[in-house]
This record gives sequence, structure tokens and C-alpha cells, in this order.
Amino acid sequence: MFISRPFFRAMFKEQRGNLLKISGAFVLYETLLSWVYPAIAKTPAVGEIVDTIPAAVKTVFGVSPHARTDSFEAFFSSQFLARIWTLIMAAYGIMTANALVAQLVEDGSLALPLSAPLSRSKLIITQAALLFVNNAILIGVTLGGVFLGTSLFRISINKVSYLKLSLLSLSFFTAIGSYAFLFAASGSKEKSLAYAYGLTALFYGLDVVAGLWDKLNWAGTLSLFHLLKPQDVLEGTVNPAGPIKGLTTSAAVLLGVAIRIFEKRDLPL
Amino acid sequence: MITIDRLTKNYPDGKGIHNLSFQVPQGEVFGFLGPNGAGKTTTLRILMGFIRPDQGVARIKGKDTLGQRTKLKRIIGYLPGELHFFGKLSGQDLLDLLIDMHGGAPTLKHNCAILRQRFDLDTSQKISKMSKGMKQKLGLISAFMLGAEVLLLDEPTSGLDPLMQKVFIDLIREEQKKGATILMSSHQFAEIEKTCQRVGIVRDGNLLAVEEISRLKGIQYQTFDIRAENQEAASFLRESQLPIASQKGLWFKVAISGDLSLLWEVLSQTRISEFHQRALELEDAFLQYYR
Repeated sequence: MFISRPFFRAMFKEQRGNLLKISGAFVLYETLLSWVYPAIAKTPAVGEIVDTIPAAVKTVFGVSPHARTDSFEAFFSSQFLARIWTLIMAAYGIMTANALVAQLVEDGSLALPLSAPLSRSKLIITQAALLFVNNAILIGVTLGGVFLGTSLFRISINKVSYLKLSLLSLSFFTAIGSYAFLFAASGSKEKSLAYAYGLTALFYGLDVVAGLWDKLNWAGTLSLFHLLKPQDVLEGTVNPAGPIKGLTTSAAVLLGVAIRIFEKRDLPL
Repeated sequence: MITIDRLTKNYPDGKGIHNLSFQVPQGEVFGFLGPNGAGKTTTLRILMGFIRPDQGVARIKGKDTLGQRTKLKRIIGYLPGELHFFGKLSGQDLLDLLIDMHGGAPTLKHNCAILRQRFDLDTSQKISKMSKGMKQKLGLISAFMLGAEVLLLDEPTSGLDPLMQKVFIDLIREEQKKGATILMSSHQFAEIEKTCQRVGIVRDGNLLAVEEISRLKGIQYQTFDIRAENQEAASFLRESQLPIASQKGLWFKVAISGDLSLLWEVLSQTRISEFHQRALELEDAFLQYYR
């Protein structure tokens, strides 16, 4: 086994409170959106208003300037998936990676687990596995929430597209979690949080800037966020296979570096 | 069993340990004594493989504590100096976790149940709700329940009431009878005196000396508190050849090893108002010895 099952169970118990709270909020919000969508879809004025919104503003909210505005996917992406959900998931990954490594090192909580015959690499792989499982649970809950809401309010969706988006999201947040792990395995709680949030904010900023000015389109390619365009995946205009492979490979490399650093560093336990 | 060989670890603030060397043979209880910041915890962390030394090597059963740290932890019970645990778990959750991580043998569960009773600890409580003393008991249970060949204990009685300190001392003696090798750090002389065969004193990262407790006790230092009747008598005492350990006003503390004739001779030539002989304590002996 690459992970310690007892340690995984104990740490899951520590983390499940946050997981439950966020899951509950996701499902509630998705059900609310599914509830209001039929009324909005029947009101042509709403579509006209959306069409008048400048492309730059749409970009800020994560909607492609030329994307459709008359579908549930367009509504759901702009209202939830493209920005709110993505940022909450990214922040959750960063905070959890920090709480699972840097914080436990700093407050000394890892002293007893590491006094057992458990290697540091196995410990950090266990913690990384926990973060990725938690991400998968949250993405699964999001998927379940949209299936539930659309089924309750009789909205027709292409479920395969949502599954594809879920896979892409899992690899995307795994990549963010991995660089957060790398920072958390290397330094103090405060610094690692600052670096992980800073890098994510930089990626986000590049994505927004690239959408606002045509001349700065190239900046978008430097951002991780250009790989996760929910509406494009849901409408089938983008094939997520390439980004999934790239993000998963990057995550594996980052995690490998994090393990190596964690093995070598001094732990004040 | 435990070998520390020219161990050096320097921290940016100038603290750390410098060229530390000593050995603890199998079955011995060794006290590592020194004030806070002397380097005791750093030494224990190196023995646990948590930090790497700048120079030198630490070995347990001949194995490098850094390179073979994961294997060595099968035979080590460890009590960290600062106890922090996962707050949302109960005490029992933590103990069960550690039992499982050590292989989950039924003997560990049995040991755990006995220790829980001896330390009178309700382990069903959440760790975040426990007092410092309760957390210390939890840490001690986690270290002792393993029946480990080597016990590394950092300030083990910190936060324990006198009754529990006695339980701890009994446990140390029982583990020693079973053949365990124990290295415990402390800044309390009384704790070391009651449990250890030898003691190493460390100050500012340097090992000042390693002595047998019985030898320290055998150094016949006797301490007297003497109050001079007036300033004239105080001046006389100050100028005498008596080994004065300290003076406060008219009060003098005199520590003498061996023959007391000088003390009687000086006292017969001046006037004193009070005279007390102190009980010989290990702390006095130790401090006198290394003064």
C-alpha cells in the first residue's frame, strides 16, 4: 500500500466537517439555480440583457464572449461553475493542503504519527490522497446536485458532458492541490499559504486580463484557468482529454517534488 | 543501545548542540538534564530522525537514526516535549490510530487499557477539550503502551500531579526491569534522581558531564544556613576561609565537603544568631560538583 489506511481514516474524520458544510452549500445553491432557471428561460428580456453585456464583463465572470447565452449550461456556468465554484474549490484545495501538512508540522501534531513506523513519503502521499479524494467527493456532490436539480425541475441536460467536465475539474484541482502541497511540504504555514494563494491569484489575474484585452491574449495561455472553461466543455466545443492528461502529469511531478522535499527537510516535532 | 557521537546541530539563532557524545547501554535509564533551550529536545529529535545533524551521528542498536528512521520506530516509544494532537479526535481515537499504525497487535490494546486505568484517564473525551495534564497522560500512554525496547521521553512529568508522577516513576522502573533502555530529558532534578542510573547535564548545547546518580549522592556536600548576629560578624564570616555558596544580608549559605573542623573553628570565633543544616539534595550536590 502506498498510503496508511489508519492515518487516512483518522485524517478524514478530522476533515469531514468542512467537507459536509461545503457539500451542503453546493447542493443547495445548485438546486436554487435549477429552480429559477425555467422562469428565466421563459423571459426573453433576460436573454436580451445578457446579450448586451460587454464581452469584457462576460470574461470576468468566466463566460466566453462568443458562447451561447440561451442554454442551461450558459446560465449554470456563468452563475456558478465558471467562477464561484472554481474559486471555492481552489481555495479549499489550498487550505486543506496547508492544514494537512504545514499546519500539522508547525503545531507538532505530526510528532506521534511520525513516531510510528510510517515513512514521511507514505505520510505525505496519504495526505495528498485524502485531498484528492475530498476533491473527488466535492466534484461528485456538485455533479449529483446538478443532476438532482435538473431532474426535479425537468431541465434537459447532456449528462456525458457533465461527466467530462467532472474529470477535467478533478485533474484541474488535483494540479492546484499539488502545488499547494509542494509549498506546504517546503515551508511554514503562513508562507506556504501566501505562495499558493499568490500563484492562484496570478493565474486568475492572467486569465481575466487575457479576456479583457485582445493584445494580451497570450497571457491567458500562461494561466492554469484557461484549461478549465466549464461552458465550453458542457457545450461540447472543447475536448478535455488533452488538458486532463497535462494537468494530471503536472500534478504527479509536483507531488513527486513535494515528497522529496518533505523527506529531506527538518521537522520541528 | 543508544550512541550519540560528536553530534552537532546549529540553528541560525546560535542555539543548538555542539559536539555531543555519550552512550546509553541496554537496560539503563539515562537522564538528560539541563535548563530550557540547552539542547535536550534537539538531541531527542535527532534520535527520532526528525531533524538531521550538521555533523556527527546518532545510532540506536547500531542503526543510523536518520537513514533507518522508519525501521527504528518499530522499537521506539516517543513522548514529544510539546504535545499537540488532532483536535477533533477523541483520546481513544488517537490511541487506536497509533495502535493500528504499529500493527494493531492485541497486546497493544491490552497495554493501552491497563495504562488508561493506571493514569485514570477518560479517553472518550475529545482531545481539544482535554487539560494539559490529561494530554500529558495521553502522550505517556501512547509511549508506554508499545512495550518498546527504547523509550525517548521529553519532559515526561510536565503537567502531571504528584500522584501521577508516582505512577510514572513506577512505570519507568517496570520498563527497566523488562530490559527497556530509557532516555528522558528533564529540568527537574527530583524526577531524574528517582528514576535514572546516570545523568548527563547539558547547558548551551554542550554536555558538561555524565555522572552516576549514586556517585553524586555520595559526594558528601553538606549545606548550612548561618545568620550572623551583626555586620561585624558578617564581615568576619566573609573574610574567613569558609566556602560561602551565597549571601543575602546577614544570611550565609555555606557548602562544605568532608571535614567540618574549619566550620567549627570559624563559628567559635564569632557570634551567630541562627544555624540550620539543610538536607542534602541531589540538586545541591550536582550544582556544587559542577560549580
